[in-house]
Amino acid sequence: MPAQTVPFKVADLSLATFGRKEIQLAEHEMPGLMAVRAEYKASQPLRGARVTGSLHMTIQTAVLIETLAALGARVRWASCNIFSTQDHAAAAVVVGPDGTPDEPRGIPVFAWKGETLEEYWWCTDQALTWDGQSGPNMILDDGGDATLLVHKGAEYEQAGAVPSAAGDDPAEWRVILDLLRRSLAGQPGRWTALAAGVRGVTEETTTGVHRLYERAAAGTLLFPAINVNDSVTKSKFDNKYGTRHSLIDGLNRATDVLIGGKTAVICGYGDVGKGCAESLRGQGARVVVTEIDPICALQAAMDGFQVATLDDVVSHADIFVSATGNRDVITATHMGRMKHQAIVGNIGHFDNEIDMAGLAGVAGITRVNVKPQVDQWVFPDGHSVIILSEGRLLNLGNATGHPSFVMSNSFTNQVIAQVELFTKTDKYSLGVHTLAKHLDEKVARLHLDALGVRLTRLTKEQADYIGVPVDGPYKPDTYRY
Amino acid sequence: MARTSRTPTATEPVREAAGRAGPDIADPGLAEAGNVRIEWARGAMPVLGLIGERFAAEQPLRGLTVAACLHVTAETAVLLRALRDGGARVLLAASNPLSTQDDTAAALADGGIGVFARAGVDRATYYAHIRRALEPGPDLVIDDGGDLVAALHADLPGLVANVRGGCESTTTGVIRLRQMAAAGALAFPVVAVNDTEAKRMVDNGCGTGQSVIDGILRATNTLLAGKTVVVAGFGACGQSIASRARGLGAQVIVTEIDPVRALGAVLQGFRVLPMRAAAELGEAFVTATGSRDVITGEHMAVMRDGALLANAGHFDVEIDVRALDGLAAGVRREVRPHADEYVRGDGRRLLLLAEGRVVNLVAAEGHPAAVMDVSFGIQALALGWVASAAGSLAARVHEVPGSIDAEVARLKLASLDTQIDTLTPDQREYLASWQRGS
Repeated sequence: MPAQTVPFKVADLSLATFGRKEIQLAEHEMPGLMAVRAEYKASQPLRGARVTGSLHMTIQTAVLIETLAALGARVRWASCNIFSTQDHAAAAVVVGPDGTPDEPRGIPVFAWKGETLEEYWWCTDQALTWDGQSGPNMILDDGGDATLLVHKGAEYEQAGAVPSAAGDDPAEWRVILDLLRRSLAGQPGRWTALAAGVRGVTEETTTGVHRLYERAAAGTLLFPAINVNDSVTKSKFDNKYGTRHSLIDGLNRATDVLIGGKTAVICGYGDVGKGCAESLRGQGARVVVTEIDPICALQAAMDGFQVATLDDVVSHADIFVSATGNRDVITATHMGRMKHQAIVGNIGHFDNEIDMAGLAGVAGITRVNVKPQVDQWVFPDGHSVIILSEGRLLNLGNATGHPSFVMSNSFTNQVIAQVELFTKTDKYSLGVHTLAKHLDEKVARLHLDALGVRLTRLTKEQADYIGVPVDGPYKPDTYRY
Repeated sequence: MARTSRTPTATEPVREAAGRAGPDIADPGLAEAGNVRIEWARGAMPVLGLIGERFAAEQPLRGLTVAACLHVTAETAVLLRALRDGGARVLLAASNPLSTQDDTAAALADGGIGVFARAGVDRATYYAHIRRALEPGPDLVIDDGGDLVAALHADLPGLVANVRGGCESTTTGVIRLRQMAAAGALAFPVVAVNDTEAKRMVDNGCGTGQSVIDGILRATNTLLAGKTVVVAGFGACGQSIASRARGLGAQVIVTEIDPVRALGAVLQGFRVLPMRAAAELGEAFVTATGSRDVITGEHMAVMRDGALLANAGHFDVEIDVRALDGLAAGVRREVRPHADEYVRGDGRRLLLLAEGRVVNLVAAEGHPAAVMDVSFGIQALALGWVASAAGSLAARVHEVPGSIDAEVARLKLASLDTQIDTLTPDQREYLASWQRGS
């Protein structure tokens, strides 16, 4: 059989050998995904699925992509962040385990580290483009960009035109509108048809989930969604333990400053903020938390952290990390008051937590690039702040994101959610769903052996006593872990 | 922090010393209760247990008389029983009449130890008890504060020649003995068992941290999570208190005068401030400096309503209680046991714990038995060493040999069922050689 041509756009296919070595290392650290491959090897539940993925194109994601393929799916992929692609991972997925850089036999990927906004949305568009088909029948999203493009495209097709950007719209929004405008002109009806063919989307992260619930509430959601983020084995693990690992990694790779003895401000004490605060304290930093939610603020205080407003501490802290999921958390005014060479980074999904546009708009400010993803912004008075990853999530931009083991938890949820939605489409109404508790417990169970965990088993009498089945689920849905 | 050794002051009334015959204890009928208490302590003192077994087999103190002046507590009883099992005749006087447990004294007397200790005795009886413990003519002495050794030299000089040597348990006592030695007045070798690496690690590093928190909690039942706790001093005790307060969820601020220690605190993520600035922020203050006037009226004046003040240092001079008296418009004594509430003119309150005395001993129970196990394990082995090596030791203060410290640590590890590695001959040679580089 002649080799089928794999469409792709990545940085450098010659990186594939290195990428494959790292994928093999990661597979060992991703026992959940490998267990799922073994479990579904025979039944091939994703046969017939056309999965478009928009998710950081890292080594761990490569293992996810190849797991989806191992379950029978066809897959096309883009990254969900302009900086988060690991080029060797992208190359290895395109080349595939059996291909060569000259004769790639893997999976179509459109992603490289350091895309422009135009390139980023082109990549997303490419991942949604399936020759001879209206589009994907499944979407795997992280932050909701693929879902957004489909919904906005369909919405504007319905309206008959793409609106013009308003004067104060972010640059990225103009790029999206331009893309859709060209699309409506060249392929009228494309997005409406595409949306109709999608059985559902599984969404990875808080931000994307938030968008989905908004759409569902507004009645504009076009296909069912599974909220993977709120699986306990995702949000509690990925958000907390993953960021606890990779925040420090990003700070060190970007700056190599000694964290011990520094004052670090964490904006937001959700799961991510909790992980960040713990790791910075573990390195010997004095951690100050800012919060808007009284419950999280009280939690931070009870955990022994000083809780202050950013205004209170902005002029004497050394490290600032935003982890809120909200916008305009660290403003240009704040940065103007910071100490010389204060480090400012964001670990929230989008780049609007730190007001980069406001910073660039400060009269007389200059930007000095120190190295990739590290910029020194010099104010007219001579003091400067160090901005990591241009305000995008620094654990991916400056380091390599969550470690494989953590991502194995998240991605096992993703694969199970894809199988659920694809094989039990009728069970999932138009709306946003979470995975059943027993599936969440299954994901955890698949990771215990690798850590040498010995689980205690309930006796029948004990199970009856607390009113749960011996094999679970063990907790009510309201349980907070 | 060492156990308190508050000696009665000269102003206390002098009463007739007790009679000369037999032991002098409050009530022999308390022996059974004392035994229960001693058994409980022994369960937490595996090092002394192992040493006691070894002593019983090897009889290193056979035929020797040991005179001890120590706090008469259950932990001391476990030490003395180990010495007795090692063949010694043991006599005991209290090193502080306020800390004597009468039931422990009764149990020891019942077990054949010459005990001269009753809780709450006056100054004259206190010294009479020490003399009586000495009168049989000791071969070895154990002291806690230096009163027994001083009394021996001053009042019973005829017995000095018989003494092979002894041990001293506290910093205060060691300072006294060094002065005696410098003046040529010390007649026998004494081992300073107050300050070995293992003892400091367990005693200051663990015992103080745990028992100071215990004292604060017993006195106030306050929730430390979310509280701002100011720890004055970041020595071994202060570090131990600060890390435990943090572990309970407190936000800890450290004050220091030593730049090296202050840097250590900062690098561990503690906020370091001058006391004047910390005074305005703290909700609980713990002094652990060994110095005086750490918290003054100036600080108290700016403290928040309800702030609590506790001292973990040996003496009651770290918090300026007199200034607090002067500052307060009124005092409500004992709002809870060991907690006095001082009300300032504007109605803001300050809560002083244990009258500014060492809070872990006054409001809680001092060090747990497991801590004393290490201190007393060193004491027992040091005494055995003096007994056997006395002829070769000069009449001055000696440090505990490193081998004894290591042995006690080894026994403690054994009791925790912890195995460690041993250097191979090649490794020993490598570490001993200077010729080989990389």
